[in-house]
Amino acid sequence: MNPLIKPRALFVALGLLLALALWLSLALGPVSLPLADTLRAALRLLGLPLAGEGLAQTELILGQIRLPRTLLGLLVGAVLALCGVAMQGLFRNPLADPGLIGVSSGAALGAAIAIVGGAALGGLPPAFAPYLLSACAFAGGLVVTSLVYRLGRRDGETHVATMLLAGIALTALAGAAIGLFTYLADDATLRTLTFWNLGSLNGASYPRLWPLLLVTAAVALWLPRRAKALNALLLGESEARHLGFAVERIKAELVFCTALGVGAAVAAAGMIGFIGLVVPHLVRLLVGPDHRVLLPASALAGASLLLLADLAARLVLAPAELPIGIVTALIGAPFFLYLLLRGRT
Amino acid sequence: MKRLKTLFALGTGLLCCGWAVADDALPQRWISSGGALSEWVVLLGGEERLVGVDSTSQHPPSLRELPSVGYQRQLAAEGMLALRPDLLLGSEEMGPPPVLEQLVRAGVQVEVLSSRADLASLQASVLRIGELLGRPQQARAALADYRQRLQQQAQWVAQAQAQQEQEAPGVLLLLGHAGGNPLAGGRDTAADWLIEQAGGRNLAQHTSYKALSSEALLALDPQVLIIADRSLSGEQAREALLRHNPALAATRAVREGRLILLDPTLLVGGLGPRLPDGLAALSAAFYPASHSTLAQARPTP
Repeated sequence: MNPLIKPRALFVALGLLLALALWLSLALGPVSLPLADTLRAALRLLGLPLAGEGLAQTELILGQIRLPRTLLGLLVGAVLALCGVAMQGLFRNPLADPGLIGVSSGAALGAAIAIVGGAALGGLPPAFAPYLLSACAFAGGLVVTSLVYRLGRRDGETHVATMLLAGIALTALAGAAIGLFTYLADDATLRTLTFWNLGSLNGASYPRLWPLLLVTAAVALWLPRRAKALNALLLGESEARHLGFAVERIKAELVFCTALGVGAAVAAAGMIGFIGLVVPHLVRLLVGPDHRVLLPASALAGASLLLLADLAARLVLAPAELPIGIVTALIGAPFFLYLLLRGRT
Repeated sequence: MKRLKTLFALGTGLLCCGWAVADDALPQRWISSGGALSEWVVLLGGEERLVGVDSTSQHPPSLRELPSVGYQRQLAAEGMLALRPDLLLGSEEMGPPPVLEQLVRAGVQVEVLSSRADLASLQASVLRIGELLGRPQQARAALADYRQRLQQQAQWVAQAQAQQEQEAPGVLLLLGHAGGNPLAGGRDTAADWLIEQAGGRNLAQHTSYKALSSEALLALDPQVLIIADRSLSGEQAREALLRHNPALAATRAVREGRLILLDPTLLVGGLGPRLPDGLAALSAAFYPASHSTLAQARPTP
């Protein structure tokens, strides 16, 4: 398959797209700020010594509301897309999605435990209470994924097909447990749970960004080092082994990276679907399956797409906002169908 | 006569000026979240200050015309700031907390009032709203009136029970959507509180709102059924419930035609100003033979 675009052209285009998405995400919102003010406030936030009178409100909205939210969107979009590439490479299937190894359902189960159990406990120390949900979601993702990985291992080898089936089984099991918690929840907790499952970048703040920043940086630095191995895996596991790659180790690393990355993203922003599935696929259509290009390009595209989806989420119903999971699903589901139907003709 | 009118107009004008001066230091642009709180704001004459409400604020219907800031647990900081509010009023359910922090930093006064279903919380909340509106006397008067009506209600129930030598009727409240999958209001719900206050005995023993099987409904055999339907009203709601749950036809409530309709918005967001009327209507249906007029529903002021 010949790529439609040369890698260099793609990187230029995606870089421009991301810059545009970043700027729109900072410049647009329910509060309409004059462009000149936005520019001046942005430059002041960068540390330029400009006159700041009359900019207090603009700086606050830009610095405390839009900037953390934009950074959150950037990180979540990038890490979800990277993990999507890792999963599609591992399963050698373009329709694979980070949810397959149970990280999403595990995180959802952790969140359900935190929301319903936290409401029942009630008396948590106030310093810890806001982080309970994130911590439980992250831990839930890791635990279920490590279980799936264990179940897929036999005689020192990881069987990808077994792991896939184990992922499906554990997802169903987690679904049942979530259902049980849903049944036990009262009305208010139920709505919190529902909204969490739809994802949102709302209420982003700097302290909550740090863990995600660390994880995303680690994943974004680590996965590209495994690009050649991922390329070799496309040929098949034994071929990759004969080419001299430590296949078992690579598989473990890919699963670990995905559990970490998706877990952190879900912990910070709730469940946001389809980015990890659609973005790698889209990029592969444009530029071909070489992971050395696919990984960084997907990160750029994922970040741009999520920022644009978030822009829609906060503008469409302003002053209220739409959960972002609805927007990404609205874009992602038709695209998925298109991929399925395209193969038929 | 004309003179009198002029004088009256002048007087009103002066009074308004007086308000305006006193009001200057008070928050002028309000966002209210939580159905019952918004109703109290409107009752105390604060409707013209509201610039936005949350999705649970549905009463009075004029509030639906205002910009909606979404569900109270999922508020958006910038969306609310676009309404340039001075004050955000809401219950402890309001959130998420980081958004409230962002609003405080933007100079918005955030008032968290309790929406618990007890009179002490209600008193604190209503007095605070009165203070914020610059109408403390009105708030006190409204509270006194509210208390009195609840007291009369309790007396009426006691009287009715004594007169008829009748025990509290067994009641189920079914919260449904166009008759399908009704959920019975159990312990620790507003439904339970309403039934008890109106002099009934809630037959549902579980906590929160849960679905009961047809057989369980039959076995409980309620004497009175309260229907709170979110999408249908009047005769349609009754018919839809019976059509979707034919087993109900064998219960005493249906055989004796004791199906009462209740506005489901009364069940959310704590004690609202319409509650005494709702209670009075329920009591009247629980004790139909009692002719005392105390609990007659009267129009909300």
